Amino acid sequence: MILAHLRLRRRVSPLAAGVLEGRERSETLAHVEACARCRAEHEALRAVVAAMEADPLREAEPGVPLAFLVARVEREVERALVPAGRPRWWLVALPAAAAILAVVALVPLLVGPLRPAPEATRAAIPPAEASPLVTEDALARIERNLAREHAVRYLSEAGEVLVTVAATGADCDPADERLDVGRAPERSRELLERRALAVGSGGEAVASAQGVLDDVELTLREVADLPSCVKRADVERVRREVDERQLLMRIRLMTRELEG
Amino acid sequence: MEPLQGGAGDRELMARLAAGDREALAPLMEKHYRRLYRIALAYLRQPDDALDVVQEAFVKAFQSAPKWDGSSEAGPWLARITVNLSIDRWRRNRRRAQTFTPLTESDHAASLADGGPSPDRRVQGRETGERVAAALRGLPERQRAVVVLRHYQDMSLEEIAQALGMSLGTVKSSLHRALARMRTGLAGARP
Repeated sequence: MILAHLRLRRRVSPLAAGVLEGRERSETLAHVEACARCRAEHEALRAVVAAMEADPLREAEPGVPLAFLVARVEREVERALVPAGRPRWWLVALPAAAAILAVVALVPLLVGPLRPAPEATRAAIPPAEASPLVTEDALARIERNLAREHAVRYLSEAGEVLVTVAATGADCDPADERLDVGRAPERSRELLERRALAVGSGGEAVASAQGVLDDVELTLREVADLPSCVKRADVERVRREVDERQLLMRIRLMTRELEG
Repeated sequence: MEPLQGGAGDRELMARLAAGDREALAPLMEKHYRRLYRIALAYLRQPDDALDVVQEAFVKAFQSAPKWDGSSEAGPWLARITVNLSIDRWRRNRRRAQTFTPLTESDHAASLADGGPSPDRRVQGRETGERVAAALRGLPERQRAVVVLRHYQDMSLEEIAQALGMSLGTVKSSLHRALARMRTGLAGARP
């Protein structure tokens, strides 16, 4: 009996934790029934486990929709990738094109006075605009890419603002159920001011993004009107709106499309 | 409780992540984010911190996907990342001396599922939650991780061993010690 007690009392804790199975479990249960000391210990440990099973956090739901989390994670992944990621070629192409244009414009000015060409030779040289080093097509392409880049940056920053508002859980005035949205209203105002510059002249290059840009603008205007310490209900309203319009997902898809 | 083993679907998503396919993040998150959130929340007891940990866990998963051992399950692997990040966050919070701030009522209300229990049960649940939180705080980091995975995620001892990189024997003894310690803690906290 004593030997059995010494052997089985070590199983009381696993029994209470629910990790014993089969014969081990039935053997230990029988012992617990018969042994007052082990039964008391088992009951005390079961109370601990029951308290955890009754803890409401077991079934807690994240306070933000999945789309917000996905957007936050993708933004962080993007940030982590940018230094080692693929270079955006127009960021290289634009300065290169500017340098070529500068050379095209300056070389005749600098070389011309020093070494005047004979009349016959000068006449044989075709006018500069007839065979430019950077064609109009190439410049138009660079402009289109720049417009897209501006739109991508605008949408990404707008997405960050919306995530900040929707995901906030920081109380700034618990008594009045107010939440801290930090600089989100200020950033919204800045973005709205930049909107025309960022995407207004994009023309056809960002035509496909027009719907998203309009919806983002509407929501940013609402955020821009908020104080930094805002009523929970107002945050909920913005969150609902973003959710219903599927803004974060659309921003994500559109930025990818614009990035090509 | 959501399934821990994601099977072939998880493997495919992990393989895509390893190849740098960011489109695989959303479906992987959809499958696991609730479970990881509950692990982090049970460990940290702060909804905002738990959300941050889940976010970091998926970023880390994306970055570490090429190193993922395809023979193991993604579920325990993600749980391991989440537990380690929760422990890091816990240490940082402790250093900032904010660790012992009790959950406020609004934190709890926000963390409960929509259409949850009645107000009475919520109050009761909150009291239980606070007592359990205090008892969990009294545990060493790894013991707390074992208890969280076992009693908040219903993971088997083998799964816990795999997730935490511990031997089965260590998991068993950790669970035993943790429950004994919590028993004392809860008895002391009883009203």
